[in-house]
Amino acid sequence: MEPTKPRKVALLANCLLNQNAKVCEGARYRGVVNPVVEALRSRGYLMLQLPCPEIAFAGARRWWAVYEQYDTPAYRAHCRRLAQAIAPLIEGYLRHGDEVILIGLDGSPSTGVRFTSSKPDWGGRPNRPQDDWEIVPRRGVWIEELEAELAQRGLPPVPATGWALDMGRFDEAGSRRDLEQFLDSRDSASGARGEDLDTP
Amino acid sequence: MNGDARGWRMALVPDSLINSPPHPLPTTLVDVLAVLEASGYGLLQLPPPGEHPLLLAVIADQVAEFSHHGYAVLAIGIHGEPGNGLHWRRMAPLLKHRGVAQPLRHIVRPDADAALEAQRLATLLASYDLPIEEQRRWRV
Repeated sequence: MEPTKPRKVALLANCLLNQNAKVCEGARYRGVVNPVVEALRSRGYLMLQLPCPEIAFAGARRWWAVYEQYDTPAYRAHCRRLAQAIAPLIEGYLRHGDEVILIGLDGSPSTGVRFTSSKPDWGGRPNRPQDDWEIVPRRGVWIEELEAELAQRGLPPVPATGWALDMGRFDEAGSRRDLEQFLDSRDSASGARGEDLDTP
Repeated sequence: MNGDARGWRMALVPDSLINSPPHPLPTTLVDVLAVLEASGYGLLQLPPPGEHPLLLAVIADQVAEFSHHGYAVLAIGIHGEPGNGLHWRRMAPLLKHRGVAQPLRHIVRPDADAALEAQRLATLLASYDLPIEEQRRWRV
Protein backbone atom coordinates (compact mmCIF):
# COMPACT_ATOMS: atom_id res chain seq x y z
CA MET A 1 0.00 0.00 0.00
CA GLU A 2 1.29 3.47 -0.89
CA PRO A 3 2.30 5.43 2.22
CA THR A 4 0.16 8.48 2.86
CA LYS A 5 1.69 11.96 2.84
CA PRO A 6 2.66 13.59 6.16
CA ARG A 7 -0.19 15.59 7.60
CA LYS A 8 -0.40 18.64 9.79
CA VAL A 9 -2.11 17.86 13.08
CA ALA A 10 -3.07 20.26 15.88
CA LEU A 11 -3.68 18.92 19.38
CA LEU A 12 -6.28 21.20 20.88
CA ALA A 13 -7.17 22.03 24.45
CA ASN A 14 -10.62 20.52 24.98
CA CYS A 15 -12.33 23.85 25.59
CA LEU A 16 -11.16 25.30 22.25
CA LEU A 17 -13.81 23.04 20.70
CA ASN A 18 -16.15 23.06 23.67
CA GLN A 19 -16.41 26.17 25.82
CA ASN A 20 -18.88 24.33 28.05
CA ALA A 21 -15.83 22.74 29.65
CA LYS A 22 -14.66 26.08 31.01
CA VAL A 23 -14.89 26.92 34.69
CA CYS A 24 -17.95 29.05 35.56
CA GLU A 25 -17.64 32.58 34.10
CA GLY A 26 -14.70 31.46 31.96
CA ALA A 27 -16.48 30.84 28.65
CA ARG A 28 -15.97 33.54 26.02
CA TYR A 29 -17.74 31.67 23.20
CA ARG A 30 -20.94 29.62 23.08
CA GLY A 31 -19.25 26.43 21.93
CA VAL A 32 -16.45 26.28 19.37
CA VAL A 33 -13.68 28.90 19.48
CA ASN A 34 -14.07 29.79 15.86
CA PRO A 35 -10.95 31.96 15.33
CA VAL A 36 -8.76 29.01 16.33
CA VAL A 37 -10.63 26.57 14.12
CA GLU A 38 -10.57 28.96 11.17
CA ALA A 39 -6.85 29.58 11.51
CA LEU A 40 -6.15 25.85 11.59
CA ARG A 41 -8.51 24.78 8.83
CA SER A 42 -7.31 27.48 6.45
CA ARG A 43 -3.79 26.11 6.88
CA GLY A 44 -4.77 22.49 6.35
CA TYR A 45 -4.49 21.21 9.90
CA LEU A 46 -6.34 18.18 11.20
CA MET A 47 -7.60 18.60 14.74
CA LEU A 48 -7.33 16.26 17.70
CA GLN A 49 -9.23 17.38 20.80
CA LEU A 50 -7.50 16.58 24.07
CA PRO A 51 -9.59 15.45 27.04
CA CYS A 52 -10.44 18.11 29.62
CA PRO A 53 -8.70 17.11 32.85
CA GLU A 54 -10.68 19.42 35.12
CA ILE A 55 -14.22 18.48 34.10
CA ALA A 56 -13.97 14.82 35.10
CA PHE A 57 -11.89 15.52 38.20
CA ALA A 58 -13.31 18.62 39.85
CA GLY A 59 -16.57 18.68 37.92
CA ALA A 60 -18.65 21.01 35.80
CA ARG A 61 -19.38 23.24 38.80
CA ARG A 62 -15.84 23.45 40.12
CA TRP A 63 -14.38 26.53 41.77
CA TRP A 64 -11.73 28.60 40.10
CA ALA A 65 -8.27 27.34 40.95
CA VAL A 66 -4.61 28.13 40.40
CA TYR A 67 -1.69 25.88 39.49
CA GLU A 68 -0.71 25.17 43.08
CA GLN A 69 -4.18 23.81 43.94
CA TYR A 70 -4.07 21.30 41.10
CA ASP A 71 -0.45 20.37 41.76
CA THR A 72 -1.38 17.30 43.81
CA PRO A 73 -0.51 13.60 43.42
CA ALA A 74 -4.17 12.66 42.84
CA TYR A 75 -4.71 15.24 40.11
CA ARG A 76 -1.42 14.37 38.44
CA ALA A 77 -2.41 10.68 38.46
CA HIS A 78 -5.73 11.64 36.85
CA CYS A 79 -3.87 13.65 34.20
CA ARG A 80 -1.54 10.73 33.53
CA ARG A 81 -4.57 8.47 32.92
CA LEU A 82 -5.89 10.99 30.41
CA ALA A 83 -2.46 11.27 28.80
CA GLN A 84 -2.30 7.48 28.46
CA ALA A 85 -5.73 7.57 26.82
CA ILE A 86 -4.83 10.09 24.11
CA ALA A 87 -1.11 9.37 23.67
CA PRO A 88 -1.56 6.36 21.34
CA LEU A 89 -3.28 8.61 18.79
CA ILE A 90 -0.57 11.28 19.08
CA GLU A 91 2.11 8.62 18.84
CA GLY A 92 0.49 7.29 15.67
CA TYR A 93 0.70 10.71 14.04
CA LEU A 94 4.30 11.30 15.13
CA ARG A 95 5.50 7.83 14.05
CA HIS A 96 3.84 8.43 10.69
CA GLY A 97 6.00 11.54 10.28
CA ASP A 98 3.16 14.01 10.60
CA GLU A 99 3.83 17.53 11.83
CA VAL A 100 2.13 17.77 15.21
CA ILE A 101 1.60 20.97 17.17
CA LEU A 102 -0.17 21.70 20.44
CA ILE A 103 -2.46 24.61 21.19
CA GLY A 104 -3.25 24.95 24.85
CA LEU A 105 -4.89 27.65 26.88
CA ASP A 106 -2.52 30.22 28.27
CA GLY A 107 -3.23 31.22 31.86
CA SER A 108 -4.97 27.94 32.66
CA PRO A 109 -3.74 26.03 35.73
CA SER A 110 -4.08 22.79 33.77
CA THR A 111 -3.75 23.55 30.07
CA GLY A 112 -1.43 26.56 30.11
CA VAL A 113 1.46 26.29 27.67
CA ARG A 114 3.46 29.49 27.92
CA PHE A 115 1.74 30.75 31.04
CA THR A 116 -0.24 29.43 33.96
CA SER A 117 -2.03 31.05 36.89
CA SER A 118 -0.33 31.02 40.24
CA LYS A 119 -1.12 32.03 43.80
CA PRO A 120 0.50 29.76 46.37
CA ASP A 121 -1.69 31.01 49.23
CA TRP A 122 -5.06 30.34 47.53
CA GLY A 123 -7.25 27.96 49.49
CA GLY A 124 -10.09 27.72 51.94
CA ARG A 125 -13.31 29.66 51.45
CA PRO A 126 -13.52 30.75 47.78
CA ASN A 127 -13.93 34.46 48.40
CA ARG A 128 -10.75 35.85 46.92
CA PRO A 129 -10.91 39.31 45.41
CA GLN A 130 -11.17 39.31 41.65
CA ASP A 131 -8.00 38.84 39.64
CA ASP A 132 -5.62 38.54 42.55
CA TRP A 133 -3.74 35.61 41.05
CA GLU A 134 -0.55 35.97 39.07
CA ILE A 135 0.35 34.85 35.60
CA VAL A 136 3.70 33.05 35.54
CA PRO A 137 5.66 31.57 32.63
CA ARG A 138 5.11 27.86 33.16
CA ARG A 139 3.16 24.88 31.78
CA GLY A 140 -0.13 23.92 33.41
CA VAL A 141 -0.28 20.62 35.28
CA TRP A 142 -2.09 18.70 32.50
CA ILE A 143 0.34 19.85 29.83
CA GLU A 144 3.27 18.86 32.05
CA GLU A 145 1.86 15.37 32.46
CA LEU A 146 0.96 15.01 28.78
CA GLU A 147 4.45 16.03 27.70
CA ALA A 148 5.96 13.63 30.25
CA GLU A 149 3.87 10.77 28.83
CA LEU A 150 4.97 11.56 25.26
CA ALA A 151 8.61 11.78 26.37
CA GLN A 152 8.29 8.43 28.14
CA ARG A 153 7.22 6.93 24.82
CA GLY A 154 10.41 8.28 23.23
CA LEU A 155 8.56 10.89 21.20
CA PRO A 156 10.02 14.29 20.35
CA PRO A 157 8.71 17.45 22.00
CA VAL A 158 5.70 18.91 20.23
CA PRO A 159 5.91 22.63 19.31
CA ALA A 160 3.29 24.37 21.38
CA THR A 161 1.56 27.64 21.98
CA GLY A 162 -1.48 28.80 23.89
CA TRP A 163 -4.67 30.69 23.06
CA ALA A 164 -4.57 33.45 25.68
CA LEU A 165 -8.08 33.00 27.05
CA ASP A 166 -7.23 32.79 30.74
CA MET A 167 -4.76 35.65 31.05
CA GLY A 168 -7.10 38.08 32.77
CA ARG A 169 -8.39 40.52 30.16
CA PHE A 170 -9.01 38.53 26.98
CA ASP A 171 -7.83 40.16 23.75
CA GLU A 172 -9.23 38.15 20.86
CA ALA A 173 -7.55 40.12 18.07
CA GLY A 174 -4.18 39.88 19.80
CA SER A 175 -4.64 36.17 20.44
CA ARG A 176 -5.54 35.59 16.82
CA ARG A 177 -2.44 37.45 15.57
CA ASP A 178 -0.30 35.53 18.01
CA LEU A 179 -1.69 32.17 16.91
CA GLU A 180 -1.41 32.96 13.20
CA GLN A 181 2.19 34.05 13.69
CA PHE A 182 2.94 30.74 15.41
CA LEU A 183 1.25 28.72 12.66
CA ASP A 184 2.95 30.64 9.88
CA SER A 185 6.32 30.23 11.56
CA ARG A 186 5.67 26.47 11.59
CA ASP A 187 4.94 26.58 7.86
CA SER A 188 8.20 28.46 7.25
CA ALA A 189 10.13 25.98 9.37
CA SER A 190 8.61 23.01 7.49
CA GLY A 191 9.42 24.68 4.19
CA ALA A 192 13.01 25.22 5.23
CA ARG A 193 13.30 21.60 6.40
CA GLY A 194 11.83 20.43 3.11
CA GLU A 195 14.44 22.41 1.15
CA ASP A 196 17.20 20.97 3.30
CA LEU A 197 15.98 17.46 2.58
CA ASP A 198 15.90 18.15 -1.14
CA THR A 199 19.43 19.51 -1.13
CA PRO A 200 21.88 16.89 -2.42
CA MET B 1 -23.05 33.28 35.38
CA ASN B 2 -21.76 36.80 34.88
CA GLY B 3 -20.22 37.41 31.48
CA ASP B 4 -20.18 33.73 30.62
CA ALA B 5 -21.03 32.90 27.00
CA ARG B 6 -21.38 29.11 27.13
CA GLY B 7 -24.25 27.65 25.11
CA TRP B 8 -24.93 24.65 27.42
CA ARG B 9 -25.26 22.34 24.43
CA MET B 10 -22.78 20.03 22.76
CA ALA B 11 -22.47 17.14 20.34
CA LEU B 12 -20.46 13.96 20.21
CA VAL B 13 -18.88 14.00 16.76
CA PRO B 14 -16.85 11.37 14.87
CA ASP B 15 -13.31 12.24 13.90
CA SER B 16 -14.23 11.89 10.23
CA LEU B 17 -16.78 14.70 10.46
CA ILE B 18 -14.11 17.03 11.86
CA ASN B 19 -11.12 15.97 9.79
CA SER B 20 -10.66 14.78 6.24
CA PRO B 21 -10.68 11.00 6.22
CA PRO B 22 -7.93 9.08 4.42
CA HIS B 23 -10.35 8.25 1.62
CA PRO B 24 -11.99 11.57 0.83
CA LEU B 25 -15.71 11.61 1.18
CA PRO B 26 -17.70 13.41 -1.49
CA THR B 27 -17.02 17.14 -1.36
CA THR B 28 -20.72 17.58 -0.78
CA LEU B 29 -20.39 16.33 2.80
CA VAL B 30 -22.04 18.73 5.18
CA ASP B 31 -19.62 20.91 7.18
CA VAL B 32 -20.76 19.75 10.59
CA LEU B 33 -18.21 21.86 12.44
CA ALA B 34 -19.50 25.03 10.79
CA VAL B 35 -23.12 24.13 11.60
CA LEU B 36 -22.24 23.41 15.22
CA GLU B 37 -20.39 26.70 15.54
CA ALA B 38 -23.21 28.69 14.00
CA SER B 39 -25.69 26.92 16.29
CA GLY B 40 -23.69 27.68 19.42
CA TYR B 41 -22.76 24.08 20.17
CA GLY B 42 -19.51 22.75 21.53
CA LEU B 43 -18.29 19.31 20.59
CA LEU B 44 -16.62 16.24 22.00
CA GLN B 45 -14.53 14.54 19.34
CA LEU B 46 -14.63 10.76 19.10
CA PRO B 47 -11.51 8.94 17.90
CA PRO B 48 -11.12 7.43 14.44
CA PRO B 49 -12.14 3.79 13.93
CA GLY B 50 -10.11 1.34 16.01
CA GLU B 51 -9.79 0.20 19.58
CA HIS B 52 -9.62 3.08 22.06
CA PRO B 53 -11.08 1.64 25.29
CA LEU B 54 -9.43 4.06 27.71
CA LEU B 55 -10.11 7.16 25.61
CA LEU B 56 -13.77 6.20 25.18
CA ALA B 57 -14.06 5.74 28.94
CA VAL B 58 -12.52 9.17 29.48
CA ILE B 59 -14.97 10.71 27.02
CA ALA B 60 -17.87 8.91 28.71
CA ASP B 61 -16.76 10.38 32.05
CA GLN B 62 -16.99 13.85 30.54
CA VAL B 63 -20.39 13.20 28.98
CA ALA B 64 -21.66 11.96 32.34
CA GLU B 65 -20.45 15.06 34.17
CA PHE B 66 -22.05 17.36 31.61
CA SER B 67 -25.29 15.37 31.42
CA HIS B 68 -25.71 15.38 35.18
CA HIS B 69 -25.24 19.15 35.47
CA GLY B 70 -27.61 20.82 33.07
CA TYR B 71 -25.94 20.40 29.69
CA ALA B 72 -27.69 19.03 26.63
CA VAL B 73 -25.68 16.39 24.79
CA LEU B 74 -26.54 14.73 21.51
CA ALA B 75 -24.55 12.64 19.02
CA ILE B 76 -24.01 13.23 15.31
CA GLY B 77 -23.01 10.15 13.35
CA ILE B 78 -22.11 9.54 9.75
CA HIS B 79 -23.89 7.02 7.58
CA GLY B 80 -21.64 4.34 6.13
CA GLU B 81 -19.04 4.16 8.88
CA PRO B 82 -19.03 1.32 11.43
CA GLY B 83 -21.20 2.39 14.34
CA ASN B 84 -21.81 5.63 12.42
CA GLY B 85 -18.34 6.71 13.59
CA LEU B 86 -19.64 6.98 17.14
CA HIS B 87 -18.13 3.75 18.59
CA TRP B 88 -21.67 3.11 19.82
CA ARG B 89 -21.16 -0.55 20.67
CA ARG B 90 -18.69 0.60 23.34
CA MET B 91 -20.06 4.04 24.15
CA ALA B 92 -23.61 2.92 24.89
CA PRO B 93 -22.66 0.64 27.81
CA LEU B 94 -20.09 3.13 29.09
CA LEU B 95 -22.77 5.81 29.27
CA LYS B 96 -25.33 3.46 30.77
CA HIS B 97 -22.83 2.43 33.45
CA ARG B 98 -22.46 6.12 34.35
CA GLY B 99 -26.19 6.66 34.61
CA VAL B 100 -26.48 8.66 31.39
CA ALA B 101 -29.58 8.31 29.23
CA GLN B 102 -28.71 7.46 25.64
CA PRO B 103 -28.21 10.75 23.78
CA LEU B 104 -30.28 11.48 20.71
CA ARG B 105 -28.41 10.34 17.60
CA HIS B 106 -28.59 12.23 14.34
CA ILE B 107 -27.01 10.63 11.29
CA VAL B 108 -25.72 12.67 8.36
CA ARG B 109 -25.56 11.10 4.91
CA PRO B 110 -22.46 11.78 2.83
CA ASP B 111 -24.41 11.03 -0.35
CA ALA B 112 -27.15 13.58 0.32
CA ASP B 113 -27.30 17.20 -0.74
CA ALA B 114 -24.96 19.10 1.62
CA ALA B 115 -27.13 22.20 1.87
CA LEU B 116 -30.19 20.17 2.76
CA GLU B 117 -28.25 18.11 5.26
CA ALA B 118 -26.89 21.28 6.85
CA GLN B 119 -30.41 22.68 7.09
CA ARG B 120 -31.73 19.44 8.58
CA LEU B 121 -28.95 19.43 11.17
CA ALA B 122 -29.31 23.14 11.98
CA THR B 123 -33.05 22.70 12.52
CA LEU B 124 -32.48 19.83 14.90
CA LEU B 125 -29.77 21.71 16.82
CA ALA B 126 -31.97 24.79 17.19
CA SER B 127 -34.81 22.80 18.70
CA TYR B 128 -32.81 20.42 20.87
CA ASP B 129 -32.33 21.18 24.55
CA LEU B 130 -33.14 20.00 28.05
CA PRO B 131 -36.64 20.52 29.43
CA ILE B 132 -37.10 24.07 30.67
CA GLU B 133 -37.24 22.99 34.36
CA GLU B 134 -33.81 21.39 34.02
CA GLN B 135 -32.44 24.49 32.34
CA ARG B 136 -33.75 26.67 35.17
CA ARG B 137 -32.30 24.36 37.77
CA TRP B 138 -28.75 24.55 36.50
CA ARG B 139 -28.26 27.55 34.26
CA VAL B 140 -28.09 30.38 36.73
